[in-house]
Amino acid sequence: MHKLVKRLFSTIFLVFIIASAVWGYTLTREDSSSSLETITIGYQAGDPIDIAKTRGQFIKKMKKAGYKVVFKQFQNGSAEMEALASGNIDYARTGDTPPVTALASGSSITFVAAGSSKAKGSGIVATKSSGIKSISDLKGKKIAYTSNTSSQYMIMQVLKKAGLSTSDVTLVDMSQSDASVAFAKGKIDAWTNWDPYTSSAELTYSGAMIVTGTTVGASNRDYIISGSYAKNHPAASKALIKYLGQDMTWANTHKTKLVKMMTKSLKLPKKVVERMVNRRSYSLKAVSTKATSEEQAISDSFYTDGITKKKVKISKYVLNLK
Amino acid sequence: MADTILSIENLSKKYQGKVALNSTNLKIKNGEFVALVGQSGGGKSTLLRLIAGLEPMTSGTISQNNQLIHGINSNTRVMFQDDRLLPWKTVRENITFKKPKNSETAEVVNQLLERVELQGFADAYPASLSGGQRQRVALARALFVNPEILLLDEPLGALDALTRSKMQKLILDLWQERKMTVILVTHDVHEATKMANRIYVVKNNKIEATFENPLAYPRTDATCTNLSTTILNKIIDQD
Amino acid sequence: MQTLEENPHNIKINLAKILTNLLHYLLPWTIPTLIIISWQLASINGLIESTILPSPWQVVQTTITSLQSGVLEQNMAISLYRALSGFVIGGSIGFLLALCTSLSQTLNLLLDSSVQMLRNIPHLALIPLVILWFGVGESSKISLVTIGVLFPIYINTYHGIRSVDSNLIEMGHSYQLNSWQLFWHIIIPGALPTILMGVRYALGVMWTTLIVSETLASSAGIGYMSTNAQSFMDMSTILMCIMIYALLGKLSDLMAKSLETSLLNWQIKGGMING
Repeated sequence: MHKLVKRLFSTIFLVFIIASAVWGYTLTREDSSSSLETITIGYQAGDPIDIAKTRGQFIKKMKKAGYKVVFKQFQNGSAEMEALASGNIDYARTGDTPPVTALASGSSITFVAAGSSKAKGSGIVATKSSGIKSISDLKGKKIAYTSNTSSQYMIMQVLKKAGLSTSDVTLVDMSQSDASVAFAKGKIDAWTNWDPYTSSAELTYSGAMIVTGTTVGASNRDYIISGSYAKNHPAASKALIKYLGQDMTWANTHKTKLVKMMTKSLKLPKKVVERMVNRRSYSLKAVSTKATSEEQAISDSFYTDGITKKKVKISKYVLNLK
Repeated sequence: MADTILSIENLSKKYQGKVALNSTNLKIKNGEFVALVGQSGGGKSTLLRLIAGLEPMTSGTISQNNQLIHGINSNTRVMFQDDRLLPWKTVRENITFKKPKNSETAEVVNQLLERVELQGFADAYPASLSGGQRQRVALARALFVNPEILLLDEPLGALDALTRSKMQKLILDLWQERKMTVILVTHDVHEATKMANRIYVVKNNKIEATFENPLAYPRTDATCTNLSTTILNKIIDQD
Repeated sequence: MQTLEENPHNIKINLAKILTNLLHYLLPWTIPTLIIISWQLASINGLIESTILPSPWQVVQTTITSLQSGVLEQNMAISLYRALSGFVIGGSIGFLLALCTSLSQTLNLLLDSSVQMLRNIPHLALIPLVILWFGVGESSKISLVTIGVLFPIYINTYHGIRSVDSNLIEMGHSYQLNSWQLFWHIIIPGALPTILMGVRYALGVMWTTLIVSETLASSAGIGYMSTNAQSFMDMSTILMCIMIYALLGKLSDLMAKSLETSLLNWQIKGGMING
C-alpha cells in the first residue's frame, strides 16, 4: 500500500515536472508564424529601449512597417558588442564607451543613432563618511569605477580637471553590483557611475554627488549601434530611429507615467527613479557632429592613456541615412 | 547403462603459447560421478572449462553422445565457486533466466526450490541470502534445464565446513535421483573420495593417474581415509 | 536504510523509537532553521541593514508577489525546460559515447583521451565559443547545460560498464546470450549503480551550469531573474533566487535518490516481498 502511494506520488510529480518544462518551452517560443523580417535588439535594463519595449507602441509600429522586433536583455555593453560582432543581434543600445573600445579592437560596427546628454546624472558620488566635498578632496581616496563603461572616461576626465594623476588616488575596477555593496558599507570613498546608480547612491546610501559630467564634458549619451545590419537595411534603420524617437518624445512628456513604469520594472524606490528621470531628457536621433566629436574625444583620450591600442576615426563609422 | 557419454581425445589447450592442458584423453560413462583433483594451475579447471565450451580448444576433440562439441556446450551446466547469480534478478528469475515464464516453469522452479530447501525464497534477491543459500540457488539454476552433465568447478570452496558437508550430501542425493553425469573439480581430495566413483589426478597439465572408488554410499570419513591418503601422495609426489 | 520494526508489545520501546525517528527527521533541519530565526531577529533589531540583507520575511513577501504576478512560475518553467532538455541531450550523448568507448577497444583509443581532455575545460571558458556557434537564443543555454551534464554521465557510464563482473559476463556467454541480450540483461544492470551515481552528480551540475548560461543575453529564467536583480541590488529577489536554487538542488537530489531506490532495490532490500 505504502509502495503504491509512493509510486502514485512520483508519477504525479514526474508528470508535473514534464508539464512545467513543456510550458516553459512554449513560453520561449516566439510566434514565428509571421513572414515579417525579424530585427533583434539588444538592450540593458532601464534604458530607452526598455522604455519602448515596456510601452509597447514600438513593436506595433515596427510590425506595421514590416518588421518583427525581438528584444534581448544584456548585462553590459561589452556583451552587446560581442553579440553584434557575431551577428546574433542586429542593433544594440549602449553607453558611449563600449563602441569606442570595440572599434579600437577591430570590430566593424556602425553608430546608428545618438541620444541626448545624461551628463547631469553621471558623475562621482562620495560617501558621507569620506569627507569629500570637491574633486580636489579625491586625493588619496579609494574610488570605484567600472572599466569599459562611461565611468572609465569620467574618472579620467575628473582626475585631469583636479590636476591629479592615477597614482594620487586608489582606483578600483568593480562591477556595478559589487561597487554598490562596497559603497553602502563604506569600503570605498567614492563611486564613479551613472543613473540610476548615482540617484540610488545619493538617496538610499546618503551619498553626495561631488561632480557631474557637465563639469568635465562627459555627456554619457545613449547610442544605437549596429554591426553590418544597419548599412544593409537602411529602411529598417530609418524606421527604428523614427519610432524610437517617438517613444522618447512620449517619455519627455509623460514623466509621471514613465516613473511609475520604471519603478515597477527596475524595482527601485520611486524617489530614485524620479530623480533620474527629472535630471535628463530623452531623445534618439541620427548621430550629430557634436556627438561624433564627443566620441572622438573619448577615443583619443583612451588611445593617449594606452587603454586602447589603435587610433580610430569615429566619423568613418557613423551611419549616413539620406 | 554403461555407454560412454563424454569422449575426449588428444585435447590440448595453450594460452598465449603456454601449455595449460597437454594431449589429454578421457572417457566418461553415462551416470558416473567423476572428480578431477590436483594442485591449482595443474589444468583441472581448464579441462572443465573446455568441456563446458567456455574456452576454445587448441587441438583435439570433445564429443558428447558421439557428437563433436563446438563452442558453448548446451547439454552441460557449470556451477562455480562464486554463485554468479545476477544480483538484480530474484531467485526465481535467476533460475528461469532466458526461459519463458509460465505456470509450467513456475512449478518446476517451486519443486527445485523445495528440493534445495529454499521454498519461500523465490522472490528474494540474492543480496538477502547467505553464501550457502546462494550456492543452492546456483545449483537449482544449473539443474533447471536438466543438463546431461553437471560440471562443478570448486562449488563448495567458499563455504564453511558444516554448510559444505550438507551441500555434499545434497549434490550426491540429486545425482542419484536424477541419474545424471557429474564432473567435479576440487582441490579437496577428501571431498573427491567421499563423492566420486572415479578420481583423476590432474598434474603437470595432463591426467597423471586414475583411481576407481567403488565404496558404497553413504560413505563416511573413515571409509575414505585410505584412498584419500593414496591420492594425496600421488598429487604431492615429485616426478 | 535501516527500518525500525515496531513492537506493539512494548509501548516504552515503541515511544523511544518514535522519538528517535522524529529526531532523525528533525535534526537535519535544525541548523537552517536556527540561522533563519536569528537572521530574522537581527533584521528586526536593526543589526542588519535591510538594503544590504533583507529579512527572511521580506524574502517571503517577494516570493509571494512574484508568484502572484506569475513571473516566478514562468521563469521557473523556462529554466526547467532548459535544464531538462540540456540534461536529456547531454545525458544521451555522454551515455552513447561511453557505450562506444567502453565496448569497443578501437573507439576507446580513438575517443577516450579526447574526451578526457575536454572534460577539464571550465564551462565558463566555453561561453564565448557557445555564443559564436549557437548565438544568444535558447540553443546556447541548452548547449551549455548539455556540455555540463555530458561528462559526469560519460565518466560514470564508462567506469560502470568497464567494472561489470567479468564472471557474470562469462555466465551470460554460457547461456549463449547474443550481444544485445548480454548488453541488456547483464552489462546495463551491472553498470546501473555507477551510472545512477553519475546521474545524481549531473543533476547538480545541470543547475549550476544553467544559472551561468542564463546570465548571457537572456530575458527569462531563474538565472536571469537573479542577475537582473543583481544589477539593481534588488537583494530580496536575489535571496529568493538563492533559496530557489537550494530548493531545486535538494529536489533533484531527492529525485535521483528515489530513482536509485526504485531501480536498485535489489541492492538495498532483503527481498522477501511475500515472506
